[in-house]
Amino acid sequence: MGASISKMMNKIFGSKEMRLLMLGLDAAGKTTILYKLKLDQDVTTIPTVGFNVETVTYKNTKFNVWDVGGQDKIRPLWRHYFSGMLGRHDTVPGRVGSRTQGLIFVVDSSDASRIEEARTELARIIQDREMKDALLLVFANKQDLPGAMRPQEVSDKLQLEKIAKDHVWKVEPSCATTGEGIFEGLAWLSNNVKMPTGSK
Amino acid sequence: MKIAGRPKTGPRLRPQYPIDSVENHVEYILVASFDIDRGSIMEHQYPGAISGDETMLAELMLPDQAHARSQDWTIFFLHKDTTAEDEEKEARRERRRKRRRRKEGLDDDDDEETLAEDDELDDDDDEYTDEESEEELDSDGPPLVYVLNLVNTKRDSTVKRGAIVKAMAICTRHPFLHIYKPLLLLAIEEYFRAPVLDTLASLYDALNAMDLSLLPRMSPLETFVLQATDAKDMFIEKFHQMIRQRMIDDAERNSLPSVTSSVSDPKSKKYIPPRDTHEFESKVNYNGIPVPIKVPTALSVETVGDFSLIKLIQIFSTPHTTQPQPFALHPHLTTSGAFTHPIIVLVNALLTQKRIIFIGHERPSGEVAEAVLAACALASGGLLRGFVRHAFPYTDLSKVDDLLKVPGFIAGVTNPAFSYKPEWWDLLCDLPTGRMKISNRIEGAPVTDGLTFFQQQGIPVNGAGAQMGSDSKGGVDPTGDSQFMESLLQSIANRHGENAIRAKWRSWILKFTRIAAAFEETVYGASALYIGSHETDAGGYGVTGHGFVWPDETSRTKELAANVHRVEGWRSTRSYYSFVQDLARRWDKRPVRGIDFHHQHDRLRCLKLTHDQSAAIYLAFARAVEEAGSPLSSTSSSDVDLSTVDPERRPSEQLRYATILQLLCVIPESNSGLFYLSLGLFHPRQDVRIAVVHLLERIQMHSAGRHFWDTLGGFSKTAFVRIQRDEAGSRR
Repeated sequence: MGASISKMMNKIFGSKEMRLLMLGLDAAGKTTILYKLKLDQDVTTIPTVGFNVETVTYKNTKFNVWDVGGQDKIRPLWRHYFSGMLGRHDTVPGRVGSRTQGLIFVVDSSDASRIEEARTELARIIQDREMKDALLLVFANKQDLPGAMRPQEVSDKLQLEKIAKDHVWKVEPSCATTGEGIFEGLAWLSNNVKMPTGSK
Repeated sequence: MKIAGRPKTGPRLRPQYPIDSVENHVEYILVASFDIDRGSIMEHQYPGAISGDETMLAELMLPDQAHARSQDWTIFFLHKDTTAEDEEKEARRERRRKRRRRKEGLDDDDDEETLAEDDELDDDDDEYTDEESEEELDSDGPPLVYVLNLVNTKRDSTVKRGAIVKAMAICTRHPFLHIYKPLLLLAIEEYFRAPVLDTLASLYDALNAMDLSLLPRMSPLETFVLQATDAKDMFIEKFHQMIRQRMIDDAERNSLPSVTSSVSDPKSKKYIPPRDTHEFESKVNYNGIPVPIKVPTALSVETVGDFSLIKLIQIFSTPHTTQPQPFALHPHLTTSGAFTHPIIVLVNALLTQKRIIFIGHERPSGEVAEAVLAACALASGGLLRGFVRHAFPYTDLSKVDDLLKVPGFIAGVTNPAFSYKPEWWDLLCDLPTGRMKISNRIEGAPVTDGLTFFQQQGIPVNGAGAQMGSDSKGGVDPTGDSQFMESLLQSIANRHGENAIRAKWRSWILKFTRIAAAFEETVYGASALYIGSHETDAGGYGVTGHGFVWPDETSRTKELAANVHRVEGWRSTRSYYSFVQDLARRWDKRPVRGIDFHHQHDRLRCLKLTHDQSAAIYLAFARAVEEAGSPLSSTSSSDVDLSTVDPERRPSEQLRYATILQLLCVIPESNSGLFYLSLGLFHPRQDVRIAVVHLLERIQMHSAGRHFWDTLGGFSKTAFVRIQRDEAGSRR
């Protein structure tokens, strides 16, 4: 009963729900972004063992954000987080609605030496069948640090034109500690998400 | 009072954990840490590298979200592949078996020692080996390695990325691994100070130096009696005897003082028997700190670590009571319809070997592990096996591929990702909300012979589908489960304690297995769950019959029909097969086989019997105990058969001791103790009254029986004394 009312309200006020997966190499700033979104404050984070998951509501959109640890040994686990698992309990796997709707890939723009590694990992995920239709938001993070690569450079180095050619994507310059770019990124996701047809 | 029934000059008592055993208390100490560049890595292992996948181990030791809390306890199990060390053990067992066959019939210790010396390769623990240790061997493979793990997250601004996450683990084959918690706390602190291999070594040495050698070994019957009682001095005699034995050994080993030297030899140690025989107190000297340790004396199968059934039951009962939600129906699980109590759904899922996941998002991993361990004990009831071996108290996404290869498991996770994958589980138990969910992807229950058997007779079968679902909240309760759960919750509310709740569950499981036996006999004509019914039904002691007792045929049929699905679901599981094996082994060792004490006691308890019928039961009990201890007094031909057929059951004090234990196992406090037996003191027939007095005298003199006698009411005791006096008078 309560659930159906809120569904109706959602229809009227255009509120939607979005499942996001946030990945990136270790120390890129994923957890800091997550808690900036959640709490709107700069928290000092320590390395994530496993994952964090939080629900964030921004501009009528409920974002369910998964932040998964980035160390290289953990990366093979990423597939579990996007292979159809982010659906509702009773969704039939394989249906569009059960897939991850957005991937946030966080890059440490100040670390040019690891951008190559980041490209390899991103290519592996975004080309997975389960990631089909997902929006790709790249945060070119740590813009406040000297020598940080600009969005264009990050996009070139990641070869987004090539590896993400089947996706709608955007590179957003960001600084997680100040919050710069973070909410702009979310707004872009919210505006571009296609609600699956026939969804309730 | 002199305790008879236990031969004083009997065989030397054996310790559960001999001091010179080759099997260590603790096999490995491990340290893992979370490397900011690489993830979970193994840092140190002592005394050597444990076999298996190191990374996998390190990941288990650093549970998901370890960064979010400063401390977390985890438990997990290792199914250690056979290593060189295990092979050596197996070879040793084989030699032992051979030797036992060689000396078949010869039993005295000297002989065994001589033979042991003959065998050069032999091990020190051999002296203590007996049939019981063989029996304890798990037929399903090498014993599990239990791992108790402590992970600490320390914020430290001097290190890169601001924190150090490290975990230390103790690997042991003892199921009571929780006793090591204080030591692990001390040792991990020490390791943060001194992150070197020596820190592991000193913990390892301290733990293995723990002395449990004065803890006597118990037989399975003794173990059960001890578990079922609250008496703090049950079997204290055994502890006294262990101390006596030790003092004799010490005296032999010590140098001979001259007669004039001081009596209080500083070298002679003082040994103190335990205050409560359920626990054995010892200590571990770690880094100069004596840490007191309490080891449980009587362990049930499938009881690992410390957990609380009460807690588990309450977590899932409270939301069900306040706001019941219907389950999706499944014949094996929702045996009382859509509103079946969640704990019954859980136990049904365990019995029918479903895939069960306990999930606790944002809960410490120790909490989910505890729930998994409690669930194993719940379904086992100390009777059934095979749950712990397929339990994964804590696991994570990285192991999911291996997990899904296991047919029927019980796993604990903290990652909510599992809840979104109904194809991974059959039953999902959410700890934070206290709700369970049956997967929409669960495999249906097949049609079985049992189902058709009852359907053909037009007997409504329980839980079959929607027709049961709607009215289940009404009065009908053919399984009796709703009533059982109510009384259980009442017990919890009345603070009867964990032991009482475990005893109640044991009786539920026992009842289930007995119903299953009756079910098989009804549907299939015979049951692997009751072998030897031909011996029991021969009527050797003047009574026949075996198994569960129903007041009448209608209630029997109704209850069997209500259990069709879960019994049939259980009949193809691991726990069923190992139970059948266990029963066969137990039957071999059963002191008295010509009478089913449980069946006869049930008849006294639930049926309206004629005086002659009840007389036959009382006399049979008395005779069974009497004849176990002394050569035949009566002349019934069937008795002669029984005792000649089976040399193991030759009358002796030892056999009488065991026979009384067998009887006591049927009548723990939760099954009214001696009450129904003592009613025989008021039987109209004098010969019955006298027989019951003799029986109670035997029990009174029995080292365990005397505690049962102590709890008997004053009214019965008065009657007992009166009959005793009258009899003595009439003899004079």
